Amino acid sequence: MIQTFTQTIIKKFKADPFFWLLFPLLLYIVVIAIYPLFFSFRISLFDYRLTDPNQTQTFVGLENYIRAFKDPTVLISLENTLIYVAGTVTVELLLGLGLALLFSPETKLAQFVRSFLLIPMALPPLVVGLIWKSLYNADFGVIPYYLKQLGLDVGRGPLGELSTAMPAVMLIDVWQWTPLLMIIFLAGLKSLPQEPYEAAYVDGSSRWQSFIYLTLPLMKPTFLIAFLLRTVQSFKVFDTIYATTAGGPGQVTTVLNYHIYTVGLTFFDMGYASALANILLVMVTVLSIVYILVMTRRQL
Amino acid sequence: MQKKSIKVTFYLLLAFALLLGVAGCAPQAAPAAEEPAAEEPAAPVVEKNKFEGVELTLASMTDQYVTAFRVLVPRFTEETGIKITLDELGYVDLYQKLTADFVGKTAQYDLMTVDIVWSGEYAANLYTLPLDDFMARDEADLNLDDIMPVAWTLGEYEGKHWAYPMAGYANVLNYRKDVFEAAGIEPPKTQEELLAAAQQLTEGEQYGIALLGAKGSAVAQDYMAFVQQHGGSILDADGKVALNTPENAEILEFFGELFKYAPPGSTDYWWDQRETAFRSGIVAMMEGWSIARAGYENPEISSVVGLADVTAAPVSEGMEPKYGFGGWGIGINASSTQLKQEAAWEFIKWLASEEIQKEWVKNDGAPIRRSTLTDPELVAMYPWFPLMLESFEKGDGDYRPRIPEYSIIQDALGTYVNAFLVGQETAESALQKAQEQVEANTK
Repeated sequence: MIQTFTQTIIKKFKADPFFWLLFPLLLYIVVIAIYPLFFSFRISLFDYRLTDPNQTQTFVGLENYIRAFKDPTVLISLENTLIYVAGTVTVELLLGLGLALLFSPETKLAQFVRSFLLIPMALPPLVVGLIWKSLYNADFGVIPYYLKQLGLDVGRGPLGELSTAMPAVMLIDVWQWTPLLMIIFLAGLKSLPQEPYEAAYVDGSSRWQSFIYLTLPLMKPTFLIAFLLRTVQSFKVFDTIYATTAGGPGQVTTVLNYHIYTVGLTFFDMGYASALANILLVMVTVLSIVYILVMTRRQL
Repeated sequence: MQKKSIKVTFYLLLAFALLLGVAGCAPQAAPAAEEPAAEEPAAPVVEKNKFEGVELTLASMTDQYVTAFRVLVPRFTEETGIKITLDELGYVDLYQKLTADFVGKTAQYDLMTVDIVWSGEYAANLYTLPLDDFMARDEADLNLDDIMPVAWTLGEYEGKHWAYPMAGYANVLNYRKDVFEAAGIEPPKTQEELLAAAQQLTEGEQYGIALLGAKGSAVAQDYMAFVQQHGGSILDADGKVALNTPENAEILEFFGELFKYAPPGSTDYWWDQRETAFRSGIVAMMEGWSIARAGYENPEISSVVGLADVTAAPVSEGMEPKYGFGGWGIGINASSTQLKQEAAWEFIKWLASEEIQKEWVKNDGAPIRRSTLTDPELVAMYPWFPLMLESFEKGDGDYRPRIPEYSIIQDALGTYVNAFLVGQETAESALQKAQEQVEANTK
């Protein structure tokens, strides 16, 4: 049996040496991604607490998943996650496109500004979160200081008020990740073919018309990439929340990932945490599939 | 053809095995090379040789006392030859890293600072080594009677010692002498007076009191401190978690009332921001651990030099005075090798000795011994030591229950007390939800 197995592998190698060239990568993916995925699915079916001295793993079937749908924090955090994703992705897409259009001409100034706009992206989100936390501090922070100078009532500070905590956290994300979208859109703009524009110019279209009827449709694949990338990233937000509000005040900025972290690394309830993580995974996967389907169908 | 294929597979397997072998050998090769060095006849005393070359890792919280570790650890290595690597971690990181280390039995850390509230959990799960055998063996050298009775709560659980007392903190009231004199009132003696003073001293940009309001351990611990000072408890008579009692709701209302006279950003304050508020002079009072006191006289970090004083934490009217006690013990990993555990015990013994305790306190450590708290030289340096001694005498180390479920209680209170403070919940509903969350996670 081993002989036939090796024979098939050898045959495969002869026919297709790429397989072997890919083999280290495949092995790597199995170890780093596939195995943990199956492991997390397995423990999500168990009642498994790390802090249990006996380390017993009791099989409970889908109980962890049922529990998730009854957990009030899950519903709140799900809602918060959706608000966060919708808000950040929309603003970032619009701002990113605007900035890309603004800085696409190859002038000295544009090049200079472009390189500076990349700095936020290069900073670790945790550091960014901590810096913004001190900027936002109601009593010693810079931002409330100037808001007070303008005669505005900042109350408990942007991160402390129920109504402003979420927008304040979203602003951090926008500040950090808009440059990434700018880069993606810039690359998209640079690779657009020139001929349609020339034809449109000959036909007497205005710049606005060229933008609406040429640039936007031609940029659709770029939009797809940017949109998907940021949606998936935004769904997984953790560092910024962890460093600024810890999901507070109350639970208004508790996103799903933060709740998973609490369950997994404060309660060490690994079974339930894995179940929650798998729910998040399914949601992100479904969204990805939907986006890809919608965008490819439109292109036809 | 077939032979060739077998050959190819064989070579591949061989190469793979070789690679594994090389990777596996690398870390082992290093200690082997060091061994001869350990045999050098450098130390003349026989006892020293036993631990020569032993390397320990100490996980320390980045509290004030970490500076004392930085000074004392090299001195210990010099005296005994036991090398200690100090790993400094924040509160949340320390707890998580230690738990991962204990659960995996990886023994990355041989020695660790143990928060008073973790001792129950560590005991129930046998994470740290019970020190009773060591203590019985070396009783003659330890001078156990000199250690303040309340300090034993730093690591004692159900009759065994899971961490050794290391740094004792008393809950005290820091206040601004000048502000109280200007207003013509005395520092508060009861909780009712505290509220009245906070109200009276709040004017414009000057606030009455600094509190911890940030979601998480900060607000939970501050609330529990006030529960203690009002004579309440978050456990019922049978030791079951009982957060949603009418008394606790009343104390929570009081806590919320105090926030009216705290800086507006207080619902976001962590320990460091509360300290900043007091040091920058915008508040008149602050309850807190006795450890930060020396810092107020350092003009580099404080703008209230010479203006601050400290008094006993006020308790509720008519209540027998009892003061919140907290701090850190030092424990030994139960999964470490026996030699390392022995060496770690040597360090604990050395650290807790009367002589070293003086150095420890001088370098920002916190006291555990009566002899340290009454030492004339130290009292001259730190005039608030007699107050700490009194707070320790009447100290209560159990107001934050040292039970295995502590971190779950703390998380639930951390979320819902904060939600109450920002107006998302009423006092009753906040405690009710916290109770429900604890029950859901401890079944």
